[in-house]
Amino acid sequence: MLLAGAVRLPLEASLTGELRAAGLLPAPLAIGTRDHIGQTSSAVALGGLRTLVATFLNLRAYTFFTECRWDDVAGTFDTIVELAPHTIYYWETGAWHQAFNASSYYLNDSNLPSLRRDAAWRASVLNGRAFLERGIRNNPGDPKLNAYLGFLLTDHYKSRAFRDADATFLAASEAYRIAADGRDALPFLRRFQLYALARVPSREAEALALARELYQNRANHTVTMQCVYFSLESHANRSLIDPGSFAVSVFGSAQQAYATLTHYWLRGSEHLPVHGVASALRVLEAQLGIPADKSVFLQHPAQDAEDE
Amino acid sequence: MSQHPDSPARSNSGSHCGRVWVIAMHAFTQLVRMKVFYFLAVFAVIAIGSNFFDLPQHTGPEVSGIAVLSSIKSWSLGTMTLFSVVLGIVATALLLPKDVEDRTLYTILAKPVPRVDYLAGKLLGVLLLVFVSLALMDVLMSAVLQIRSSMILNQQMDFAQGRGWSAAEIASLRGDILSQGANASLQGAVFAVFLRASIMASLALLISTFSSSTLFTSIISFLIYFIGHFQADARAIFLESGAAGTGPVTRAISLVVSLVLPDFQLFNVIDAVIEGQAMPLLILAKLTAIGLFYAVFYVIASWFIFAEKEF
Repeated sequence: MLLAGAVRLPLEASLTGELRAAGLLPAPLAIGTRDHIGQTSSAVALGGLRTLVATFLNLRAYTFFTECRWDDVAGTFDTIVELAPHTIYYWETGAWHQAFNASSYYLNDSNLPSLRRDAAWRASVLNGRAFLERGIRNNPGDPKLNAYLGFLLTDHYKSRAFRDADATFLAASEAYRIAADGRDALPFLRRFQLYALARVPSREAEALALARELYQNRANHTVTMQCVYFSLESHANRSLIDPGSFAVSVFGSAQQAYATLTHYWLRGSEHLPVHGVASALRVLEAQLGIPADKSVFLQHPAQDAEDE
Repeated sequence: MSQHPDSPARSNSGSHCGRVWVIAMHAFTQLVRMKVFYFLAVFAVIAIGSNFFDLPQHTGPEVSGIAVLSSIKSWSLGTMTLFSVVLGIVATALLLPKDVEDRTLYTILAKPVPRVDYLAGKLLGVLLLVFVSLALMDVLMSAVLQIRSSMILNQQMDFAQGRGWSAAEIASLRGDILSQGANASLQGAVFAVFLRASIMASLALLISTFSSSTLFTSIISFLIYFIGHFQADARAIFLESGAAGTGPVTRAISLVVSLVLPDFQLFNVIDAVIEGQAMPLLILAKLTAIGLFYAVFYVIASWFIFAEKEF
């Protein structure tokens, strides 16, 4: 028996390494995880049924979610992803609970003083981001997780939680790039990469190059894409472009250009680039005879020269 | 099969196979008459039940139901693992004592039947039973997955078209749903479940050759099954002990565990398949080779003990 064991030991060690490298075999269960799931579940998990235990814990997490026990939700998802680290659904759901559900709950929790509410909201958003980034480290290059990270980092309701806006948008752009490079990636992901990159002040040239490339495909002529393209071109060629006529050439007509750019201008909280937009709107308002009391600038005034 | 075992033709290898097959079929029939297939009824209830459970979901309508497919796979393969291991151990543990109790063993061994043929036949009978059980469970699971995937696919396609999703988005959603359905990797995972149960059955056969009771064989086999899932940890301790500064006692214990016990963690590739990963054929072939190695080795080891046994 010992002899047979000596023969198979190196073979099994090599196959284990091969399976781990291929992501077909998870890392051994950590002692902490064994404590969290209890003796019975631990025995089941060690009996080769880790995903089964993860499924049951997922149901338990749902109960915690309905009871707004956010610490328990987070703790349960920490255990779930230890058991099933390659199930993307668990990473997405765990991050969603922390960054969206728990954070909104704390923001609206009238039992907490304002400062603590804000701190708890921010901590939840950051926990959600950290959880998602951990998921990406466990599943490098996964398009879904990267797309979800990009979505979280560009959510304008969450942007206040991330201190360095430029670094955040840059990280979002990179996440969208990885997602867009994935197999069978949906076309909007590349546009979202552009939108994130265009928000970083020092990266306009890089963003314009991508915008021009995307703009060659008519399928990419969505409203936001047209506006971002208009803004980036206006920034790069501010002395050469007449804002009014360039807007008409991009949007098709003065009416269409005014309607679209007005809506875009009012999306100020999204931090999308607005170079040349105010100038174009002023020209179009004059051209279309928009009365001063109906001007878009009454709702959202131009802030600085960059807007112009 | 009707040939007398004493005839000269029995001495060739073909008759060995014939004898093994007769004993295997007898063991299979014996086990079926013991109503072990009732296990399947329980599995059927669980598998079909899980199809109709409207399990709570954390996500919105855009992915509604997709996670349920993963749950069905997880529950079904979990149940298959549990039942196949229990079936493999208990059925094997029952066979030898029952043959002694019924005095069938004396009748068989009084004839020129090599003891290794008897053992191999008994094991093959159990493996046939496990295989048939798993095949039935697999058919049931695949049918449930197929029905549920179609339902979710129709529901999600209606939702996506209603929301005006692009063709590329709809195709991506369709791909996501179909990847969670019944596929070739899932069948590979079921085969890995069979391999693990086969190793356990052959190990139980070895234990039953020196065990005094069915209970003892079953308990020891289940203990080895659980410890076998730590074998890879023990091996890692032994192989990396130089760098980690492990003491000589720990090193010796980890070496013994690594050499004596089978490594069941290798078969946890099933979890990866449940998570939606593909299982390459080469990996399945390597697992089969390991499973075969264990089965043959334990049968030979059983033979060494059983050959000397007096009845």
